[in-house]
Amino acid sequence: MQHYRNFCIIAHIDHGKSTLADRLLERTGRVSAREMTMNQILDDNPLEQERGITIKLHAIQMDYVSASGENFKLNLIDTPGHVDFSYEVSRSLSACEGALLVVDATQGVEAQTISNLFMALEQGLEIIPVINKIDLPSAVTTIDNVKKQVMDLLGCKEEDMIMASAKTGIGVDEILEAVIARIPAPKGDPKAPLRALIYDSIFDAYRGVVVNVRVFDGTLREKDKVLFMVTGQSYELDEVGVLYMQRKRTGILEAGNVGYFTAAIRKLQDTKVGDTVTLLNNPTDNPIAGFREVKPMVFSGIYPAESDDFEDLREALGKLTLNDSAISFEPESSNALGFGFRCGFLGLLHMEIVQERLEREFNQTIITTVPNVRYKVITTKNEVVWVDNPAQLPKTTMINEILEPYIRAQIIAPSEFVGTIMKLCMDRRGVMTGQTYLSADRVDLTFNMPLGEVVFDFYDKLKSSTRGYASLDYEYSDYEPGELVLMDILLNGEPVDALSSIVHRQKAHEWGKKLCIKLKELIPRQMFEVAIQASIGSKVVARESISAIRKNVLAKCYGGDISRKRKLIEKQKEGKKRMKQVGRVEIPQEAFHAVLSID
Amino acid sequence: MFGLYLHIPFCEKKCSYCDFYSIESTEHIHAFVRTLVQEIDLRSTSDIATSVFFGGGTPSLLSPADMATIISKLCNSYAIAEDAEWTMECNPGTVTLERLEAYRASGINRLSFGVQSFTASELMFLDRIHNADEADAAMSLARAAGFDNVNMDLMFAVPGQTMETLNYNLLRMLSLEPDHISAYSLIYEHGTPLYARLKKGLITPQNEEVDAEMYALVIATLTAAGYEQYEVSNFARTRKQCRHNLTYWHGDNYLALGPSAHGYIDNTRYWNHRSLSAWTSKVHEGVLPEANREALTPHEQLVELLFLTLRADGVPLAEFQSRFDIDLQSLLQPDLGHWFDAGFVIDNGITLRLTGEGYRVCDEITLKMIERVG
Ligand SMILES: Nc1nc2c(ncn2[C@@H]2O[C@H](COP(=O)(O)OP(=O)(O)OP(=O)(O)O)[C@@H](O)[C@H]2O)c(=O)[nH]1
Ligand code: SF4
Ligand SMILES: [Mg+2]
Repeated sequence: MQHYRNFCIIAHIDHGKSTLADRLLERTGRVSAREMTMNQILDDNPLEQERGITIKLHAIQMDYVSASGENFKLNLIDTPGHVDFSYEVSRSLSACEGALLVVDATQGVEAQTISNLFMALEQGLEIIPVINKIDLPSAVTTIDNVKKQVMDLLGCKEEDMIMASAKTGIGVDEILEAVIARIPAPKGDPKAPLRALIYDSIFDAYRGVVVNVRVFDGTLREKDKVLFMVTGQSYELDEVGVLYMQRKRTGILEAGNVGYFTAAIRKLQDTKVGDTVTLLNNPTDNPIAGFREVKPMVFSGIYPAESDDFEDLREALGKLTLNDSAISFEPESSNALGFGFRCGFLGLLHMEIVQERLEREFNQTIITTVPNVRYKVITTKNEVVWVDNPAQLPKTTMINEILEPYIRAQIIAPSEFVGTIMKLCMDRRGVMTGQTYLSADRVDLTFNMPLGEVVFDFYDKLKSSTRGYASLDYEYSDYEPGELVLMDILLNGEPVDALSSIVHRQKAHEWGKKLCIKLKELIPRQMFEVAIQASIGSKVVARESISAIRKNVLAKCYGGDISRKRKLIEKQKEGKKRMKQVGRVEIPQEAFHAVLSID
Repeated sequence: MFGLYLHIPFCEKKCSYCDFYSIESTEHIHAFVRTLVQEIDLRSTSDIATSVFFGGGTPSLLSPADMATIISKLCNSYAIAEDAEWTMECNPGTVTLERLEAYRASGINRLSFGVQSFTASELMFLDRIHNADEADAAMSLARAAGFDNVNMDLMFAVPGQTMETLNYNLLRMLSLEPDHISAYSLIYEHGTPLYARLKKGLITPQNEEVDAEMYALVIATLTAAGYEQYEVSNFARTRKQCRHNLTYWHGDNYLALGPSAHGYIDNTRYWNHRSLSAWTSKVHEGVLPEANREALTPHEQLVELLFLTLRADGVPLAEFQSRFDIDLQSLLQPDLGHWFDAGFVIDNGITLRLTGEGYRVCDEITLKMIERVG
């Protein structure tokens, strides 16, 4: 056990975690230079490669011969930086004794640097600060300041930090030696009753669920009968091993090690991440503390473009949740969109990724609605109703109070933007709760804000109004009452449920007006005039109209024109796939996202 | 039963808006006629032709003798119904009484004049070679030669046209009492000089509103004068519908000859080379001068039949049921009510048919119908 080291790489998004992992894999020979066919090789989902971000934690074991000639096994976990996936980070940390905290030498400490660091410290991990990207020419001017930020943040000395470039490989040896020297070897007793923590699980079409575990005590062997302590399920283990680029079967996994097992488990839901695995006939009486449940924070409707494809979509969502247990979905129906699902996500990026995966990996053509948060409604009968679809809000007369989720938003930015950021957050009903100067020109602001105000393009606004310098991190705080009202959109007098939204009373008029104007832009002219109205209760607060098409007919269609016309019609029909009809009005997909493009 | 189309690819001068295949040099006419006769030999059928249509181009550039040669070849090669409709397109500027009489003697019984307008500025804009008086004269000559079935083409939404000039054109055309009127809204076809001018911003097209108003005026005026609208752009006096064009719109068979001509036989469409030389050399080699052909899938047949019949005299409900096993009335249920209410469509139990108002938004209704049938 003295020769194991378990560590993860944590950082703010894009600071170079996965690239650093590439260099470590190369240096330890886990992946040869020839096999290194792409950058961020651990980002093995095509979407991760395309977007250049990590979505899922990724564990891999390396063999390393230290400078002193000893053989070590290093279990590395690369983690995502984006706030939506901080749950992946917290789980990774629980399998490790140490973490490399990577900080971009040109960007410095940012919001997720701090939040991820705190998570690691809470778990008692040894932190090795790595200042990355020192090869960048602009680092020359920023690095001293960044070093100072990191020292202030960690209370560490200059010599504790490793200067590195994940691009050129500078500092990689030093990092590996520091991992050996500074991160404690795992403790644990291979003879004690088994205690293994499930920190992740993935679905494999052939093997079923592949459970990733960190063994704290005892030993896992193939054919062992194990008990999952929280779910109470027991299984016989099929395959046990460690993780290389592919799974490597070893048959055994001892205390201190990180690896996987399979056991003919058919659904991801049958395992619970955070559960403790022990032996059925020799259980531990000391289960490991699990993880807090992740709850979906934002919700949106996902509907098949063609109503016939509802069952297909259900199947696709089912398969997707096999690989991503953070998604929730429940059937719902809408007058505009027919039958579909209300899906819950960890955040907007998570939502986008799920929607994209449905289209790409599962070939679904879908229509999605605007995201919203989950409201807590106290009825006049003092009952609590959770509302994750605005159209489902109880009648006003039945409502005593509506509460909405609040977040603690942390924004780090150069101090010159304080005014801009305060204005932006206050416009979104934020209240500043803290302001700390990280250095003379760098400030850390915290706000108490309704999450509902953040789901509509807050992040983009924040970035664009600070020239990209501000970084945002947030965590859920609590539900607080709000003066919220339901705003309906009516097209030719018919309410379109998928366009309903819950808005703050004081903003409702303004909002309704902008929304009507936007819808007028987004809904194409049709053969009938379309009247657009925004209403609160029975009161119309804004209206617009789209004039009817006056003429649309091909004048000539003789023998030589027919083929061409048919092909045109078929193309147009394809283009209308994502149009939905309410009454006589056809509504394009973009219209369901109209509120997102309002400024 | 089938229609027979022959494409005569010669014009004295290309009109600015025209994208039909035709060339301005007429020196090859004789060679063309000989080749056309050879193509007839390549395309035999035992079916009975109910209409023959000489289109173009300008068929009236063919001498009566050439015309007679082709017609007698057709009669020898195909079974042509006794009462078949024999149409020939003519340029009003190129006809004389003798010629018309001669055409009539060889069997032509319907004429179609590309009149387009009676307003000099509009004719000039369209690069037409004739003038308004020649259009009047053409009609008198046709009647004098004994033709009792004459069509005139009219164009609207021409840049510079006003409701007044259009009204004048309509009334003047009506005064000539044609049996059939084709009234087209000007199309800016890709590849035409007109299109190029439009793209360069040299002309301002009529806006949609005016186009719609003009169309309404055309429909109202012609209907009031006793012409029935039986297709988007076609109006006829009683029993004077163009039988040949109805073969296109009813999805019937038509055999086509000559460069660029499109034929449709037993659900397969073919099109001849759009070049006199390519067409000629193929025919001389004794092979079909086709650039390509496509066999339509049942779904494509359905789509075509739907949009063509909708453009024309109505979608035949029984045929959709028997041929495609489709109950249109129930498939279209969600929309029909809206369309009846708006006065776009009428259901007479046999067909779903567009009204004058409905023709105006025909392509919108078409697309919706196609979406509904899947
Ligand atoms: N010049 C330079 N670029 C680097 C270095 N390390 C990473 N990059 C670049 O920075 C970008 C982000 O790198 P990643 O390794 O994907 O960053 P990450 O921290 O894994 O990002 P997330 O997983 O999305 O949080 C990529 O374009 C890398 O090529 C470095 O040392 N020098
Ligand atoms: S419109 Fe008729 S006359 Fe004019 S170029 Fe075309 S085919 Fe020839
Ligand atoms: Mg990464």
